[in-house]
Amino acid sequence: MFIKVRRDTLIILLLAFLLIFSGRVMTYMSYASSTTSDQGVAISGVIIKGNDVVPLDSIRNSLANVGFRSGSYIQGDTLVTSKRQVPLNEAIANAKTAVTETTIPGTQLTPIVAADVEVDNSTGIVTVNVIEDFSSIHINGLNGTY
Amino acid sequence: MKKSKLVGILLFLMTVSMLVHTSAATMNVVVITDPTGQDPNGAAAGSQSWAENMFQSTFILSKDKHFCVLSGGEGNETPRLAAVMEAVNNLENGGTAESAATLANGFSGIRVMTGGPTIGAAVGGYFLAYVVIVSDNGTITITPYSGGIAVLPPGTKGAIIHLRNTPGNPQYGTADAVRLQTAEMMGQMIRDGYPATDVVAAAFKNVAINAGEKHGGGAVNLVSGITTGDMFTPTELNTTGFPMDQPYSKVSDNGWSVAYPEAANYQTSPIDGSNLTTVYAYQALDNAITVNANTTSVAVYGTDAPGVADTTQEIVQASVDKHGFSGTQIAKDINSAISSGLLVGVNNVEASDINVNANQKAVGVYFKALPDNRTSPPWNLPISASILNLLGNMQTAIGLILVILVLFRSTLISSFLKK
Repeated sequence: MFIKVRRDTLIILLLAFLLIFSGRVMTYMSYASSTTSDQGVAISGVIIKGNDVVPLDSIRNSLANVGFRSGSYIQGDTLVTSKRQVPLNEAIANAKTAVTETTIPGTQLTPIVAADVEVDNSTGIVTVNVIEDFSSIHINGLNGTY
Repeated sequence: MKKSKLVGILLFLMTVSMLVHTSAATMNVVVITDPTGQDPNGAAAGSQSWAENMFQSTFILSKDKHFCVLSGGEGNETPRLAAVMEAVNNLENGGTAESAATLANGFSGIRVMTGGPTIGAAVGGYFLAYVVIVSDNGTITITPYSGGIAVLPPGTKGAIIHLRNTPGNPQYGTADAVRLQTAEMMGQMIRDGYPATDVVAAAFKNVAINAGEKHGGGAVNLVSGITTGDMFTPTELNTTGFPMDQPYSKVSDNGWSVAYPEAANYQTSPIDGSNLTTVYAYQALDNAITVNANTTSVAVYGTDAPGVADTTQEIVQASVDKHGFSGTQIAKDINSAISSGLLVGVNNVEASDINVNANQKAVGVYFKALPDNRTSPPWNLPISASILNLLGNMQTAIGLILVILVLFRSTLISSFLKK
């Protein structure tokens, strides 16, 4: 041996290693068993009802564009997205506008005349009810409604 | 004088080319093999074209009222949209296929084809179409129509196909022959008892290969309310969709699959080395809109994480095949998938989170997503998390102090002794 190490030094080092290791394992266990998160309630899913001709994916995209997407979360009365923080009621109002402006893919037609957006603050589930109406659609470039 | 004449001719040519552009250019097909609306695959429709901009607006589907409105793929072509909207509005208010398709005659150069399992099918406006009627004794009647209105009456089995060649298509001029050939083939398939979804897929294949009008577009199953969505539609404006006669994906016997163009790099499955089967776009279309008798439809709520819906579908299907429609059993199988790491990012489910409708073969699963991008559910330990955290931190600290003690042992001891 080049380095002279006393036996009790080794024992103390081993003890220290054991203590640190088990300490780290314990903190991991505490993380793994904790249920609460300091990040608020994550937007966990979107349920869309009432759409018939407008595809689900289009409406889902509209909602994602105004912040109701995975990765966003609700903290108190605020919706925190990857880009900015908006008051929840403002975000819901934005979502309503965005949903009513959803088009049939490949066109500028917006058949959704009314949308109701509800956000469950405890589960993070967004429920959207839409009403489609084809009797009063305005088409750019044509007079009147179709 | 000469110049103004030239401008006049140019204007005239432009107008003509625009008119040609609006009225030509696509395949529309509606097939009804079960006019009662009982067979889940008994009515289907679809659009494809050589042209650009074949978005979902060219095969609009109403899932609730079971009708479709097909039209040419001309992007934001204003009168076409107006005609489509009038047709949709008519059908929403209880109109028949005929009454809705006739409305296209109010617009110049526009074609609208509509259909539904119980309302029949019809095409109106500017078109070149064959109406195929298959009577109950197996007689196939094929009638050509061009312009105005052509109807497949409600209650009859049959099909309508419109086909023209788009200018610029290298197979220009084949439309007339292929239209008749496809109509005959569809008539035979309907007579022989194939479901409408298979007939539509066969028509897509025949037209794509022989007439070159091959860019999706897409197709819809009118009874079950399923659409190919944007599987084959163009990704951007003024581009063409997926060519329907090309390979779409490769699938292994065990379910692993990869889409083209990446699929070109795979000869065998990377998981178990099994052979891959090439799925062509028309087959993928058939698979996408055909409902199997034993398929369970699974709706997943509470998470948008990619993969969770697909995996849940497979787990629920396997569970139903094995144990039938039992909420507890499905919950058990989903939980074992979560603990084995097959499903990540969601918490364990209880039987009350599973909504089973055995009559409609439908299962709804309500997941709870995990916070902080966690992948597995929290452990259920008898000691509270905060106590564990405290203990763990203390142990780590003591351990580190011990290490320091060892390192500076001699210095420390000597300094103590000096005192």
